[in-house]
Amino acid sequence: MDLFLQALINGVMLGGFYAAMMLGFSVIWGVMGVINLAHGEMIMVGAYLSWVLNENYGMDPFVSLLIVMPIMFVIGYVLQLILINRVVNRPILASLLVTFGLSIAVANLAKLVFSADPRLTDTALSGAWSVGGVTFPVTKTAIMGVALIIMSSLYLFLQSTRTGKSIRAAAQNKQAARIVGIDINKIYALTFGICIAITGAAGALISPTQAVFPFMGTPLTLRAFTITALAGLGSIPGALMGGVVLGIVESMIGVYVPGIGTNLAIIASFVLLVVILITRPQGLFGGLRPHEEPAQI
Amino acid sequence: MRRLPRTPRLVLLVLLIAGLATMPLIPDWFPDQSWVTNSRLFSFTQMFMLITLASNWNLTGGFAGYVDFGHAVFFGIGAYGTGILMNHGWSFWPAMGAGAVFALVFALVIGWPTLRLKGPYFAIAMLGTFVAVREIVRVSKGLTGGGVGLTLPPYLNRPLFYWITLALAVVVVFIMWWIRRSEFGATLIAIREDEVGAEMRGINTTVNKITAFAIGAFSTGIVGGLWAYQNTFIDPDVVFFPSRTVELVMMSMLGGLGTVAGPVLGAATIYWMRDVVWANFADYHLMVEGFLLILIVLYTPEGIMGRLGDKSATSLQKVWKRNGKVPEDAVDEAVEQVTP
Repeated sequence: MDLFLQALINGVMLGGFYAAMMLGFSVIWGVMGVINLAHGEMIMVGAYLSWVLNENYGMDPFVSLLIVMPIMFVIGYVLQLILINRVVNRPILASLLVTFGLSIAVANLAKLVFSADPRLTDTALSGAWSVGGVTFPVTKTAIMGVALIIMSSLYLFLQSTRTGKSIRAAAQNKQAARIVGIDINKIYALTFGICIAITGAAGALISPTQAVFPFMGTPLTLRAFTITALAGLGSIPGALMGGVVLGIVESMIGVYVPGIGTNLAIIASFVLLVVILITRPQGLFGGLRPHEEPAQI
Repeated sequence: MRRLPRTPRLVLLVLLIAGLATMPLIPDWFPDQSWVTNSRLFSFTQMFMLITLASNWNLTGGFAGYVDFGHAVFFGIGAYGTGILMNHGWSFWPAMGAGAVFALVFALVIGWPTLRLKGPYFAIAMLGTFVAVREIVRVSKGLTGGGVGLTLPPYLNRPLFYWITLALAVVVVFIMWWIRRSEFGATLIAIREDEVGAEMRGINTTVNKITAFAIGAFSTGIVGGLWAYQNTFIDPDVVFFPSRTVELVMMSMLGGLGTVAGPVLGAATIYWMRDVVWANFADYHLMVEGFLLILIVLYTPEGIMGRLGDKSATSLQKVWKRNGKVPEDAVDEAVEQVTP
């Protein structure tokens, strides 16, 4: 029973992180209709930034978040202006291929710069609390805490600020948003910047617990896609639920299938993805956009 | 640019194929030349394989419009099927055939659910399939050797591999040309242009999509088997090479999606660039290819053949007229009223 409870808790903590990790992917898709296949690579870039700061200045990843996020915001803003903006209004295949190309290019660039060796950052947080036979590792709990803070800030930002409302308006009806005087290009660049900043922060957050290497991106992009499919486009509460579901599934498989469980986890997320896409394509919780048939290529 | 009339084009094509086919014999006939070496033959062999793979990808990705980010999974299954059976004492040809059949069966099994997904969902589901199969291969140590890989009996006859892959490429491109002109090909293009409309006109889109998918998978499985035998060593990372799918997408797009000659031109161009231009910068070539894909999508989404004004497209309407199955005008009107 303790084992089960432990796996459940681990899954929930993993899920909190997953939710923060995929939020950027989901919001970009929901607002701009762009499926960012370079999402995992943005996590990787954030993780490497955090590693560089850790290696050279001994900065704790939880502190370097504050530096990583602005840098990633600028990267996202510029990427949107010079690259994504050119494909936003084209058929979805165009943005899919452009971001796919970007992911390959960035991963291989990272391999050139950082080599393929896996890296870890050091954090001052260590040890674990034990409550009734269940352990809470301090690092993972802190990761989940920061993830929750990031998510609720984004939620408040989208719900109550003027810019946030513009972003939601652009997601719901681009033409109408234009008519009432919203600068769509600026809103898109801002959305992309914010989402990439969050994504980079997720990268910085996992750098102490999971090896950082150039090709870590693709499985993460796949997970982001799975959770988005579970959650519905751009829905933050949905993201949390979807992340926790996937986290629990992966954690349970890891515990109850000895030896090969970690490899099976990615298979599990794929099976979940296909099942959900076939049975409930609008996601379990609705989202930023009303349900629509996925665009034809 | 004007296209040559048909007969000179055919003559040129036959001359090109005949020239390529005699290339390995040149060292026997002219012993003092040094251009045709084993490594050059090897390099052409790779190019023929890529031409075949890109043509296969183009069948679902270009003709039917179902862009597939995990096509390399069939390559891997073909390679592993061949490798495993040869390690169990089979000889090459039956092992390769069985490997290709495995790829075909897998395509039927995986295509049945995934081909119902549209657009990006299908692309991602196939990318997921690709990653999942790679991990399954890595995990099943007893069968596949896991991460350590498998060694195949070596057989180093470069000219033979050259001829086999050349023949395969010619046959596959011919099949693509034939499909393109057939009712089946026109059906695939109708699915790409308007799947709902095609369905309303009584086309069984699922069967057609799965057929195209399975043909491509079978042929890719053959290439996988050949590649494994030629390379004599396979492991999950070599065979399920993530960027292989990117290359196929890129080659087809550079040449022109949904055209017959497109993947051939695209594969030859990109392979030549990599072999000649990037041979000295091996570390950079994947990075450059990623950027190249971006540039192609941004600046020539219709590809070389599209730029040349490819007219080989056969519309479904034409095929139906030829077969005396003209759809009633009333249906067209009804469709126009229903679709916004």
